[in-house]
Amino acid sequence: MEALSESTWDVVICGTGLQQSMLALALSRSGKKILHVDPNKYYGGPDAALSLQELEGWAAAHSSSDEQQAGQAVFSNSRIIRNDGAGKTKKKLSFPRAYSLALSPQIIYTRSELLAQLVSSKAFSQVEFQAVGSFYIFRPASTAAAAAAEEEEEEGEEVGSEEGQQEQGQRQRQKPSLARIPSTREDVFSTTAIPSRSKRHLMKFLKFVIDYEAEEQSGTWKPNADEPLAEFLRSQFKLNEELIGYILALTLRLDAPNVSTREGLAVIRRHLTSMGMFGPGFAAVYPKWGGMGEIAQVACRAQAVGGGVYVLGTGVRGTKVPNAAKYEEVEVELSSDTVVKTRLLVQGAGDNMATDGQKMSRLVAIVSSPLDSLFETVVEGAPLPVVAVVAFTQGSVPSPEGSSFEQPILTTVHSSDTGECPAGQSVIYLSTLSCPGASEALDSALSSLLEATAEEGEGAECLFKVVYEQLVSSGTPIDEGRTFTFPPSPAAIAYEDDVLSQVRRAWEKAMGASTKDEEVEYMVFADREAIGDDDVGS
Amino acid sequence: MASRGPPGARGGMNTRFAQFKLVLLGESAVGKDQFDSYRESTIGAAFLTQTISLDENTTVKFEIWDTAGQERYKSLAPMYYRNANCAVVVYDITQASSLDKAKSWVKELQRQANESIIIALAGNKLDLVSEQPDKRAVSTADAEAYAKEAGLLFFETSAKTAENVRDLFTAIARRLPLDQVGPRHSRPGQRQGVSLNPESPNTNVGGPCAC
Repeated sequence: MEALSESTWDVVICGTGLQQSMLALALSRSGKKILHVDPNKYYGGPDAALSLQELEGWAAAHSSSDEQQAGQAVFSNSRIIRNDGAGKTKKKLSFPRAYSLALSPQIIYTRSELLAQLVSSKAFSQVEFQAVGSFYIFRPASTAAAAAAEEEEEEGEEVGSEEGQQEQGQRQRQKPSLARIPSTREDVFSTTAIPSRSKRHLMKFLKFVIDYEAEEQSGTWKPNADEPLAEFLRSQFKLNEELIGYILALTLRLDAPNVSTREGLAVIRRHLTSMGMFGPGFAAVYPKWGGMGEIAQVACRAQAVGGGVYVLGTGVRGTKVPNAAKYEEVEVELSSDTVVKTRLLVQGAGDNMATDGQKMSRLVAIVSSPLDSLFETVVEGAPLPVVAVVAFTQGSVPSPEGSSFEQPILTTVHSSDTGECPAGQSVIYLSTLSCPGASEALDSALSSLLEATAEEGEGAECLFKVVYEQLVSSGTPIDEGRTFTFPPSPAAIAYEDDVLSQVRRAWEKAMGASTKDEEVEYMVFADREAIGDDDVGS
Repeated sequence: MASRGPPGARGGMNTRFAQFKLVLLGESAVGKDQFDSYRESTIGAAFLTQTISLDENTTVKFEIWDTAGQERYKSLAPMYYRNANCAVVVYDITQASSLDKAKSWVKELQRQANESIIIALAGNKLDLVSEQPDKRAVSTADAEAYAKEAGLLFFETSAKTAENVRDLFTAIARRLPLDQVGPRHSRPGQRQGVSLNPESPNTNVGGPCAC
């Protein structure tokens, strides 16, 4: 390890979460001398995907519920509950390495700048992207009948359709169900689940949102920009509560009931314009083998290929500015007792990060069924989806005491094709903003989801689950001259592009004046693959 | 130079073309850096390629993934091993300890990589021993016995003079399942992912067409 301390580094990066890894990628052709360390023995930091064995160790290290300690750590309150072979079906987990569970999985909309940067930096070719398929909304058992009755009333003015009758018949079964959210105009057009009058309103809204930013549209929404989206949909587009539920679910925001018209329109537009960008039938993608952690590994490899030095299992213990007057470099003490000198230290959220303390509660479950019905292609020629999104809107999650949980819960269900679990099983990721009762509500949502997807004679059982809390923030990085600290990630299940501007700020800081150079284009690199013998045609 | 072609087999009438991912492992001093004779330094390439013609109609292309120095502090990522069809583990025949290190790489491969991975053990720096036989620290018989026991292909090579290097790649190529090929989407029945290829329609990311 002596070698690390021998010279002055241009940048020391601590942590291999997505932000730091994207910075490593951005600097991979800069010629800067870079040391990239991570206190963990794996890549990805809070975005990592872990085997069950790694997860055991991780959960033990993040089990603290002590406010003093847990209040500052990114992860806390974690515990594992196993039900391996103990259920009715006696189904069992596979070996620990057959699993790769993501700590903070996020889907990536095809319009995301993240994908554009992975393409322009040539890193994309080492990641296997797969399609995110349908978006569903959960319909609790108790209100299924009520909704059917309501619809019957509306259907009075419709030309009665046979499908409508069948639909209604199904609804009357006293079982919770999942309704696919029609999220494109074609979808809305062809669906039989929405009565015609509502369809017209919904179509009008979808047409509006595609180019809501156009000058002539601004009068419709700008006066209401800071009001809740739900109110806007109700007053301007006369959407009924069911359709408002669909739209709020499609925002994929954990704070959906409070999301403003301004933010809401932007994310709905992102959803609609992402559809079909890289092929028919999907609006978002997910990296195989564990999501963002995979991108982190590929980005770090690009930096390693560019000459960066990688040390896992080594963190930053502290920093010291040796001569404050000179202030040109900082001494960084690594957990391996080595002290290295660097011009810039970039790190992830740590102990001294001031946040508003907002947390997100998560539950990750391995279930004993492939849940095939959630992963069907609905558009001809579409790739088979590997991720399905299920939204529980505010108040739709039954709680044990009979009251209902007053926050949305967002769920992504991953098939074994993601490489996160063996064939025949699937992984369900549930999340909600932390509050009293959140963990019970997540549990209840999981049972309801399994009940809603259960087919005749086949019950899906939860074989393993891990619950935990994660510190989230919509804050900005802290720039203290020689150290630059990223805030925790936002509470989002779809990747938020805002985070990329933080990475770019760190890059600009590392590059100094050379960012002004016209030759230097951010994240745009030439191919460096396949230097070899096959230039000569055969 | 065209970008990487579609994975898997392709070819006309009676020709076969197969592409595989090969990972190259070994301590930094064993000379694996020059293992591919076309390259001067580890730095700068995501991977290299080596093409072997097995016969008139069969061409095998190796996508050779270097560790990019990430092995130095035990920082190799799972994505490095993922879907690797074959591996070359290099040791230095003039350094006894390097064989022990190679053995631990073999264990690591058996832990991290596909069960069906083909592993070749390469005792490098044969050129040094040819000049000064007393420099040899690992006997051919010992290494061969270990390779046999662990089910590995075995060659003594000189990356410097290219001695046996082509034979090594050819031997690996002969072991590979040429009928169900491809470095990434290899297993039969596995579903195809999504292409973010800049050349596909509707993308706003530019780039020259490499078709």
